Amino acid sequence: MELSVNYLGLIPLFPLMGAVIIGLLHVFTCNRTRLPEKVYGILACIGPILSFILALRVWVALKALPPESRFLTHDVFTWISVGEFNVSMGFLADPLACLFLLFVTFIGTLIHIYSIGYMSGDVNYGKFFAYMNLFLGSMLVLVLGDGPLVMFVGWEGVGLCSYLLISFYSEDRANVVAGNKAFIVNRIGDLGFVLGMAFLFWGIGSGGFDYLSLSVNADNLAPGIALAVCLLFFIGATGKSAQIPLYVWLPDAMAGPTPVSALIHAATMVTAGVYMVARFSFLYAGVELAGSVIAWVGILTALLAAIFAMYQDDIKKILAYSTVSQLGYMFAGVGVAAYSAGIFHVFTHAFFKALLFLGAGSIIYALHHEQNIWKMGGLKAKMPITYVTMVIGALALAGCPPFSGFFSKDEILYCAFATGHYGIWLVGIVVAAMTAFYTFRMIFIVFHGQARDQEKFDHAHEPPSVMTIPLIILAVGAIFAGFFNLPGVFGGNLMVSQWLEPSLTEVHPYTSTFVEIFVVVASIAAFAVGLKLAWSKYGQGATKPEFSGFSRFAYNKFYVDEAFDRVLVQPYRALGATIWKNIEPNVTDAPVKGASRLYMMLGNAFKVFQAGYVRVYAIYMVVGLSLMTLFLSQSLN
Amino acid sequence: MFEHILSVMIFLPILTGVILLMTPASQGIARITGLLVSLAILILGIDLYVHFAATGYLEFVEKLAWVPSLGISYHLGVDGINLFVLMAASLLLPMVYLVFTTREKGFYANLLIAQGAMIGAICAADMVLFYIFWEIMLLPIFFMMGLYGGPKRIPATIKITIYTIAGSLLMLAAIVYLGVSYHAQFNEWSFAISDMAKLNLSGQTAILFFFCFIIAFAIKIPLFPFHTWLPDAYTEAPTAATFVLSAIMAKIGVYGVIRFVVPVFDEQLARFAILLACSGVVGMMYCGIAAIAQKDLKRMLAFSSASHMGIIALGVFCMNMQALTGSIYQIVAHATSVGVLFLFVGLIESRTNSRSIEDLGGIAAKAPVFALFFAIALLASVGLPGTSGFIGEFLIILGAIKFNVWVGVFAGTTLIIGVCYMLYMFQRVFFEKTNPNTSTFKDLTLVEGLTFLPVILLIIIMGIYPHPFLSKITPTTALQFAGDTPVVAQTVATNALFPELTIEKK
Repeated sequence: MELSVNYLGLIPLFPLMGAVIIGLLHVFTCNRTRLPEKVYGILACIGPILSFILALRVWVALKALPPESRFLTHDVFTWISVGEFNVSMGFLADPLACLFLLFVTFIGTLIHIYSIGYMSGDVNYGKFFAYMNLFLGSMLVLVLGDGPLVMFVGWEGVGLCSYLLISFYSEDRANVVAGNKAFIVNRIGDLGFVLGMAFLFWGIGSGGFDYLSLSVNADNLAPGIALAVCLLFFIGATGKSAQIPLYVWLPDAMAGPTPVSALIHAATMVTAGVYMVARFSFLYAGVELAGSVIAWVGILTALLAAIFAMYQDDIKKILAYSTVSQLGYMFAGVGVAAYSAGIFHVFTHAFFKALLFLGAGSIIYALHHEQNIWKMGGLKAKMPITYVTMVIGALALAGCPPFSGFFSKDEILYCAFATGHYGIWLVGIVVAAMTAFYTFRMIFIVFHGQARDQEKFDHAHEPPSVMTIPLIILAVGAIFAGFFNLPGVFGGNLMVSQWLEPSLTEVHPYTSTFVEIFVVVASIAAFAVGLKLAWSKYGQGATKPEFSGFSRFAYNKFYVDEAFDRVLVQPYRALGATIWKNIEPNVTDAPVKGASRLYMMLGNAFKVFQAGYVRVYAIYMVVGLSLMTLFLSQSLN
Repeated sequence: MFEHILSVMIFLPILTGVILLMTPASQGIARITGLLVSLAILILGIDLYVHFAATGYLEFVEKLAWVPSLGISYHLGVDGINLFVLMAASLLLPMVYLVFTTREKGFYANLLIAQGAMIGAICAADMVLFYIFWEIMLLPIFFMMGLYGGPKRIPATIKITIYTIAGSLLMLAAIVYLGVSYHAQFNEWSFAISDMAKLNLSGQTAILFFFCFIIAFAIKIPLFPFHTWLPDAYTEAPTAATFVLSAIMAKIGVYGVIRFVVPVFDEQLARFAILLACSGVVGMMYCGIAAIAQKDLKRMLAFSSASHMGIIALGVFCMNMQALTGSIYQIVAHATSVGVLFLFVGLIESRTNSRSIEDLGGIAAKAPVFALFFAIALLASVGLPGTSGFIGEFLIILGAIKFNVWVGVFAGTTLIIGVCYMLYMFQRVFFEKTNPNTSTFKDLTLVEGLTFLPVILLIIIMGIYPHPFLSKITPTTALQFAGDTPVVAQTVATNALFPELTIEKK
């Protein structure tokens, strides 16, 4: 059962239109009279707000329907139709998409409002908001697109926008290189996505390439192809959602303005991979091997990123690695077929991570673009609102009950345990302790103790209210978002999981209350251990330690970037140069050159006979005539 | 007049060009004349497009007996296969006259002749007629390169000329072979392309002449390893000629394969398709990787163009409807994107006197409109969804996977290879800091902006709403695969890795 409505397409269209209008205004005015910032700020917020209102309307409309028929569709036009390959530019809103819609537009709007303050004074104010709108619009296409190909439009769209925004301060080469890296690494993942789509289509796509047709036909997919499709799609997800081995772009993506980081890390882009796996739960549910691969890649990514996060100096990099680590949890969740748990962590993470990034943005703003935590300290006196809200975000991230992150993380760990993935659970618990440690390491160094840079400290101040109000709203979300999906042991009824049920193919694992309580206690203990360690090491002020041995190795992120550079980037460039300098002239073009040389040689050889002396030609004539006579006399006989 | 719309589109520019060459017209008059004629062709082209009914068969047919004793006729027509090549040839040329305003009289006259000859080759439905236009279209390029090209133009001109003429001679032999075979099998003379599909060709001789055709077209496309003339020619030719070569003439090579080889030599193609497909994929990767080592903007685009042509050719050799349709779509998508990029390089060169990637930088800050247009064309060229480049590329990869999984997988790497050099180039030319070369870089003038705007919009429209365009192509490509011979089906079945992917033949 599905209901056709005619407003779904408008949801991505509003921000996209905003992007076009703001972009054109900026392009045509930026080198002449500059428009006032207010114009851009207001224009930029209209699109996201309208989309949010429509998202609410979608939610109301879905709620009015009986759960099993909660599908709204909107086919705008036939997009591509070639033989049996038929795809329409269609949109689908089901409970899963609706959940994403709500938090993407809500948090997206808050980040836009915050940016009005954060970006003020920037020369490319208009350009920034054009990209932001484009980013949000692409994300909404990704979420709403009915079928993998329409999703891919948004998928690549957010990739492009991240490139544009990461290299936003484009005068500095390092920023542009970081942008290039993000785009290229994402493209590697996208190759997996494209090939997965091709396999899926030749498997079952001729019956329709939208989600509902695909899920109906999913059983007809041969097991080998199903595995290939699942793994190829997951390659796409590792690119977009920064998992091993393609996570390398995300920490570098910190080169962009801070609100962009918030948008990339919280509301858009990196959650896309998790969304995709959940979206294709009808495929993944049938391929256990793919699920195990995803779960293990996820939890190992969580571990690796948590190790890196413990040693970083840059406040944004700490948060970046924490995002990678939390994404690992989400993949662990969807990998063990606990799709709703993974999605719920996406949801709560969106609040507290947006909060933490925007809080970090406030600090960076207050300290005039200082990002090194060892230059901060004692800021809680100067920036109380930022301090309180960031502590709330930190508690949620670290998994302190009853903040939102606790419930969502616990649900994933519980599902891993209950489905018998004890190894994943154990690593998850260790990572939980590490998360608490690195999060509060950051909080203690930045806000507690003494000022480390007195001059910067003296100039620090709370940012304007256009920036603090979004922080407060997000803090409220970071506290309470977890209550939407309380499990039975806390007296809840898994509201979000129930809401998502029509969209997902999953079975919620039920075990005994004892197991539930055991998992909860283990999580709380992990949090407590991490917090205690952080307090004892950094609670009363500390100076930057000297790294040696393992910590030095971890501080340098296991030299993974250097390894990629040595193994992939340099050889690729060298190959290009070799082709151009050696292979092209000496191998590929050699036959052509050889042919012309041969031609010259033949010419030179025959030149000898054209000596130019009458006596030589006379000899030719005599010899020729004799031979002819001989031949004739022979043949006449 | 409109019964003869194709003849007008062919001979109006050719005759104008010849007259310009013979009269002592000034360069200004030559340019205005050229612009007006190309605009007239543009209007005729749009009119033709609108009235094209997508029946699947030849439309706007003109047929006159020419050498009746040998069955050679003056025979023109348009169907879903050549419609888009024709559009590329008839809609893009006005840009050249608007961008390059100060060239010589002979430059514009040759451009006119080239356009007429290309339209002739595209519309010819008779092999002899095709051959004649095919040869004529090389002449203006020869003169433009040799007279108005860069400092190392002479060797480059000689190389491209001898290379293509060698190919053409092979093709002539193959055309004669087809005519003679037709006479032998049906006891009458014909050189009509549509008649050749009836031929039953087999044996060593057929394979020999199959390769004659393939090599002729492979040189024009160019297909790896017949591409070695391209980097020098594209770099040394005046940018207008590079534009014509890359945006249109290369496409006529692909078109030739679709028109001559696919229906006539179906058996031989089925046998050697895997070889040719690999040649396309290897060429894509080889040229794409070589592009990253280039310091000259124009040469980098030359390699990029060769790389993309590999993918377009691949689509033809995959012998299924998705890939073939994708190739035809990509012909226009690539013509618009790479055409705009080459013209922009021309503008950069005229504004800064340099094409070296290392001499440039920071243009985006100085010239936002310029950068925006360039970026859109660049994104189309790397196949970003929402631009025309994605539709064709995706259809080709989709079809390639059906043809052979590994060919498809390697074809997919174009997604990565393309962005590597393009982003590097964009970084060094448009981002980073300005320098004395670019610190006074002028943005697009109003005329320039209006010149490029329609093409930029077309790139976006063809990416967002491709259906109306595709529906002009698919009736013809569907006919191509309607009567699949069993041989083709066998090749498709070589899908050893995933036998499930093999498609049942009707």
